[in-house]
Amino acid sequence: MTQPTRSDEPIWWALFSAGGVCFAVLIPGLILTLAIAYPLGLLPENALDYAQIRQWLFSDYWGLAGLVLVGAGLCLPLFHAMHRVHHGMHDLMLRAGGWGKVLCYGSASLLSVLALYFWYLGLSAS
Amino acid sequence: MQKTLVIQRYNPEQDHKPHPQHFTVPCDDSTSVLDALLYIQQQLDPTLAFRWSCRMAICGSCGVMVNGIPKLGCKTFLRDYKDDITVEALAHFATEKDLISDMSVFLTHLQAVKPYLINHDTRPQPHQQTPKQLAKYAKFSNCINCGLCYSACPQFGLNPAFLGPAALTLAQRYNLDSRDQGKAQRMPQLNGKNGVWGCTFVGFCSDVCPKQLDPAAAVNQGKVASAADFVIGIFKP
Ligand code: SF4
Ligand code: FES
Repeated sequence: MTQPTRSDEPIWWALFSAGGVCFAVLIPGLILTLAIAYPLGLLPENALDYAQIRQWLFSDYWGLAGLVLVGAGLCLPLFHAMHRVHHGMHDLMLRAGGWGKVLCYGSASLLSVLALYFWYLGLSAS
Repeated sequence: MQKTLVIQRYNPEQDHKPHPQHFTVPCDDSTSVLDALLYIQQQLDPTLAFRWSCRMAICGSCGVMVNGIPKLGCKTFLRDYKDDITVEALAHFATEKDLISDMSVFLTHLQAVKPYLINHDTRPQPHQQTPKQLAKYAKFSNCINCGLCYSACPQFGLNPAFLGPAALTLAQRYNLDSRDQGKAQRMPQLNGKNGVWGCTFVGFCSDVCPKQLDPAAAVNQGKVASAADFVIGIFKP
C-alpha cells in the first residue's frame, strides 16, 4: 500500500482548537461585560474610561493585555470560524480545492495581520 | 400483534433501482427486526436476501437501516416502533441485493491501519500488561466490524476513501496498547487527509455504535496523536 502524503491539517486544526477555547471562554466574557453588564449599569460608570482602557491595553506591561485581546479575541476566533467555513464548503460539496483553503485561511490571516497592525499603531502612539 | 415492514428490494439482475415492498408480520415484545426478516423469508417470500449469523449482536453481519438509522437487526425490536418500519441496506455502501451491502471498502480500510498486535519480540513468554495499561485501550477494543458507523458518517458518504470511524478507532486501539510496537507503521495512514483529518467530529458514529465504542472520541484522540507526530516530524524529518 502506498503511503498517503502528510496532511497540513494539524496547523489549521491547532488554530481552530485554540480559537474554539477563546470562543467558549473569552468572547462570552467580553459580551457579558461590554454588551450586557455595562449597558445595564451593573458596572461603575467609569469602568470603560477611555484613558484608563488605553493605558491597560497599550501601556501597562508593554501592551501585553492589548496583544492578548487581539490574539484571543480576534485572530484565533477568526481562524476557528474560517476553519468551519472551509469544512462547511466541503460538506456542501462546493469543490473549491486549494482555492477554498487560500480564501478561508488567507482572509483569516489578512484580518489577523490587520488587527495586530492596529494594536501596534496603538502601542507606538502611547 | 402485527406490524408492517416496508423493505427496500433490489435485484441487480432485474431492477433498475431499488423499490419498496410491504410485508405484514406477526410480532410480540421480543420480536426483533431480524426475526421479522426471517419470518418473511421463511413464510412469505423466500427470495428476500439479507445477512445474519449470531442473532446476539456479536457477529456484526445484520446491519441495516431501520427508519433511516443504521441498526443491528438482531438488537432492534419492533416493539420500539409505533408505525410502519422501513428497512433498507446500509447507507454509503453499494447494495448487492435487497438488504445485502458490499462491505469490501470497509474491509480494505480496516486492513490499511494494520489492526493487529505488531511486536518484534519473539520470546515465548506472554507480554504482560497491568490493569491500568489495559484500561487505556479496553474501551476501544470491542468492535464487531458491523460497519454501522460508516453508514452514520457523512464524511465517509462524501468521500469513500476516508478510512472511517471503525478503522481509525482500531488504529488507536492498537496504538494505545502497551504490548504493541506498530504505531510508526500506522501513523502515515492516520496523518493523511483520508486518515484522522477526514473527520469533522459529527459524532453520529458514536450514537449508532451498538457496542458503545465511542469511535468519535477515538478519532479525535488520533488527531491529537497525529498533530504531535506532525510537530515531531518538523524537528526529526
Ligand atoms: S466502531 Fe461500533 S459501529 Fe463501528 S464497526 Fe465497530 S462496533 Fe460497529
Ligand atoms: S446477527 Fe450477529 S450481530 Fe446481528
